[in-house]
Amino acid sequence: MAHSVRQTKRSLRINPIAHGLVWVYAALLIIPLYFLVISAFKPNSAIFTMPFAPPTTWNFDNFVQAWGQVQLGDGLISSALVTVIAEALTVALAIPASYAIARSRGRVGAVVEKFFAAGLLIPGLAALVPTVLLSIAMGLFHTREFLYLFYPASVLPLSVIMLTQFMRTVPPELEESAMMDGASRLRIVVSVYVPIITPGIATVAILNFLSFWNEYLFALILAGPDPDIRTVQVALPSLVSQTNTQYGVLLAGALITMIPVSIVYIILNRRLEDALLQGAVKS
Amino acid sequence: MTATLNTIDAPARPRLSGSRSRRVNPALLGLSLPAIIWYIGFTLGPLLAMFYISTLKWPGLIAPSSFVGLDNFQRVFADPVFWTAVRNSIIQIGIVLPIMIPVAFMLGYYVSLKPRGHRVLRVILFTPALISLAAKSVVFLSIFAPNGLVNGFLDNIGLGGLAKPWLASTSTALGTVMVVDLWSGIGYTAILFSARLAAIPVEVMEAAELDGAGHWRRMWGIAYPICRDYFGVLAMLQFIWVLFSSAGSILLLTNGGPGNSSTNLSFLVYDKAFTQSELGYSQAVGVVLFFVGIIGMVIIRRVFRARY
Repeated sequence: MAHSVRQTKRSLRINPIAHGLVWVYAALLIIPLYFLVISAFKPNSAIFTMPFAPPTTWNFDNFVQAWGQVQLGDGLISSALVTVIAEALTVALAIPASYAIARSRGRVGAVVEKFFAAGLLIPGLAALVPTVLLSIAMGLFHTREFLYLFYPASVLPLSVIMLTQFMRTVPPELEESAMMDGASRLRIVVSVYVPIITPGIATVAILNFLSFWNEYLFALILAGPDPDIRTVQVALPSLVSQTNTQYGVLLAGALITMIPVSIVYIILNRRLEDALLQGAVKS
Repeated sequence: MTATLNTIDAPARPRLSGSRSRRVNPALLGLSLPAIIWYIGFTLGPLLAMFYISTLKWPGLIAPSSFVGLDNFQRVFADPVFWTAVRNSIIQIGIVLPIMIPVAFMLGYYVSLKPRGHRVLRVILFTPALISLAAKSVVFLSIFAPNGLVNGFLDNIGLGGLAKPWLASTSTALGTVMVVDLWSGIGYTAILFSARLAAIPVEVMEAAELDGAGHWRRMWGIAYPICRDYFGVLAMLQFIWVLFSSAGSILLLTNGGPGNSSTNLSFLVYDKAFTQSELGYSQAVGVVLFFVGIIGMVIIRRVFRARY
């Protein structure tokens, strides 16, 4: 009680100019989003003449046109496939690795941990060109398959480092009894560790979901522009040239691509914010 | 937390594996092998290959290549387009960072006080971080288009004379890209600062308040020195993003143009390789970028080293 009283007293002492500036900035952040939502329902002429006016009718023509013109449906399916398969592969690679790091006491474990920690500093985009050459060498250039394999590598450092910290919170006594029963290491990871660190796995999975779903440049170059293969992020910008700047259609398309992330944000609000915070702090 | 756990489970170790406790456990480390191999194969390997490719003359993805030593670097340093890209990257970093980091810090400080409406404010600040590069770019293409939001607004308030194709004018293209960078990054950075500021003991701030320090003094005189190193971390994140990863946003917003007026180093690496089919040149720029990145990170670390 005393705490909350103090809080309010403190807040009241903020200079009104500061309040004003903060909310002006908040408005600057919101205007593009407001413009995005209302324009998706407006014809092109109204977007320019009355940019801030809400649509007079809730007309879904722009959505229909965007959907058909660049096959957004196929793009959504591609993106979903890439995201789900890459997620599964990331978890399958990162969980055993983080367990090994968390439970090995020797010098090698520390070296492996440093190895992945150093990986956090390497921006993925630095090696774009050689990655393309790798995909050609593997015979997987312009396929989704290469994205399935490549995306997990791009998020492994962060996933391993974060999961290692969750693994360390599990008391080792738990696995000792399982070990005496003769269970293998992998069995122990799956049946003892995974259930306990499920919240940690969820945090990592949310972060990876955002980066896989939203990724653009690698998807453009590695998977290519074929409408049956490309992800929705690659399909969307192709509307720019195809519609000859019909902004309503363009923005309706953008809204469609944002649906999955919005749903996750609405359902997991706090969780997703925490995941983003933890992810950034680690790197 | 890690330290305490280690001390707790250290005595349990001998019971588990007896005298072998200090030796490497192959079964255990074998579990990390797939991840290590994966990471080397798809990320580290390609990164090393970049250094090799920078010494090749390689005119296109499917063309044969030949070794030319440091020729590519000579060509890069003699190329005015490279120096335009250097200039643009410096401008981008030199303007975006000094605006983004302090503004985000002040916003973060404000949010950490939990004033009325702070929950709504958090959501607003977070949202740009959730929107993909492609969607963001499409929105800003529409906003800055010749008949988009900004020009429509100027027209409506009688300032139609100021209207221009913002992303397609030599004088405004790079500036507009930077506006989009700021829009995308400040909110999220602010939330990160607010989380860091929330970890400062309440007593510290209260003591300052009792001494009569206003918010401005508390923010820069106390909160800033305490999370100075965090300034460095966030500045570094943003620095790396602009230097290496901004190619996508340039590609979507301006395609480096008009002319080369918004071409920066990250975009040059992309453009040389995939539009102009000069792989060796592209990777030579990549190598330069790599070292500039390391030097920049060392400098940022030095500048923001904790001093208390």
